[in-house]
Amino acid sequence: MTETTRTIEVNQLARVEGEGALHLAIDGGQLTVAELRIFEPPRYFEALLRGRDCREAPDITARICGICPVAYLMSSCAAIEDLCGLRVPAPLVDLRRLLYCGEWIESHVLHMFMLHLPDFLGYPDAVSMAREHGDLVRAALRIKKAGNGIVALLGGREIHPINVRIGGFYRLPTRAELAPLRDELAFALDAAEQALVPLAALDFPDFERDYTFVALRHDSEYPMGRGRLVSSDGVDLPVARYDDYLTEHHVRHSTSLHSRTADGGVVHLGPLARYALNHDRLTPRARAAAAAAGLPPVVRNPFRSIQVRGVEVVLALEEALRLIDGYVPGDTPAAAFEPRAGIGYGATEAPRGVLYHRYAVDAAGLITDAKIVAPTSVNQAVIEADLRHYVEPNLHQPDEALRAVCETAIRNYDPCISCSAHFLKLTVERR
Amino acid sequence: MHEHSLIANLLSRIDAIACQHSAKRVVGVSVWIGALAHISAGHFREHFEDGSRGSLAQGARLDIEVSDDPEHPQAQDILLRSIEVV
Repeated sequence: MTETTRTIEVNQLARVEGEGALHLAIDGGQLTVAELRIFEPPRYFEALLRGRDCREAPDITARICGICPVAYLMSSCAAIEDLCGLRVPAPLVDLRRLLYCGEWIESHVLHMFMLHLPDFLGYPDAVSMAREHGDLVRAALRIKKAGNGIVALLGGREIHPINVRIGGFYRLPTRAELAPLRDELAFALDAAEQALVPLAALDFPDFERDYTFVALRHDSEYPMGRGRLVSSDGVDLPVARYDDYLTEHHVRHSTSLHSRTADGGVVHLGPLARYALNHDRLTPRARAAAAAAGLPPVVRNPFRSIQVRGVEVVLALEEALRLIDGYVPGDTPAAAFEPRAGIGYGATEAPRGVLYHRYAVDAAGLITDAKIVAPTSVNQAVIEADLRHYVEPNLHQPDEALRAVCETAIRNYDPCISCSAHFLKLTVERR
Repeated sequence: MHEHSLIANLLSRIDAIACQHSAKRVVGVSVWIGALAHISAGHFREHFEDGSRGSLAQGARLDIEVSDDPEHPQAQDILLRSIEVV
């Protein structure tokens, strides 16, 4: 006997949901537990690097993230170059900084206008927001595209660029190839300054915390691809001593490792930390944009990170124009490089904060051990702390309203789990 | 890795609808993928086949329509159109 089939019309939207979950326990009106759970499946990159040639590290680790592959390229190169004592010539360092500018622009603008701003303006997503704020969204997309243009040209393609190698690049662009980027970047710089104006008028929650900020700091530039590891409470270390300062540990409720200082402290990475620790390194127009936005030299309200990202976009565009104008192609696309046995340490400033790589390599140039600490992983503990402080006064709200509030608070950090309209499963245990 | 979450959400809906209609099995699933949904038909199919193991929709025929209209109001979305059950 054959079974009769029936067709059921559904017409419902499928949603990306549940990348993260927040478990709140409320006992007698007091918040007793706030646990952010990330259950993105483990991907084992550190393990699959073992046995691979150290020259492959940049291209392998770049696949970790489609939004910030340049950060992975740069941190892995920095670590292997540190291991080999390789000094990258200044023109190639500048070109890498230009590439990093491209990534900062596209990553920050994507987060600010497509993910974060809809939260503040009360829209479920950017598409809904675009219906009433079309000019702003179009301008944001054009700024982002200017960043994409840099990555596409220097990296060989927009996503997972392939033109970076240990010691430099595979191929250098000509001045004539860089020139067409200039007009669009100049437009984007003006547009980015303009886009900061409506952001200053947003209704930010009255919420500040006394964070321990951690970022890179360099002698002469706002940090992107190099610098020492510094903190707002006086830490100043070479990157090679990162492990002395921050250690990873596993917590039961997350597949992503947490990080703490040796004395159990929680640190804050990302735009707010970079800005606070490097305010004196801002470029002129970025400094003016920060002042026009009413930002003090240290911003402790995480909700205002959207503005600080905007200042960093202005900085990245300014830097990109400076680097293009000053570009003189060198004789060689990459410094000569011979692998050797040892341990190398590298850290650069991904859009979301310090990205740390450590590799142990044997005499044949094969990786025997790899450690990669992504900023979202480090920021989990500070996100949880923010949520505890922020949720406490809002416990009377219904669960759905609480979820929206918590999503915005989490999105302040642009974590790699937030690229969806509703990424948070909230469970509230009220006793 | 968002695909895992997306498919999990879709399958939980399919299972719920099938149970609601007292179905024994889901033999067909029809979806519409918006032009800006960040997933290709092939990628979606691969994740669906993997994610549906052990669910009522294991082995179901998957019909996928891919939109090429970025102006569509649901261009970023994936729409579960219908399911076929026994």
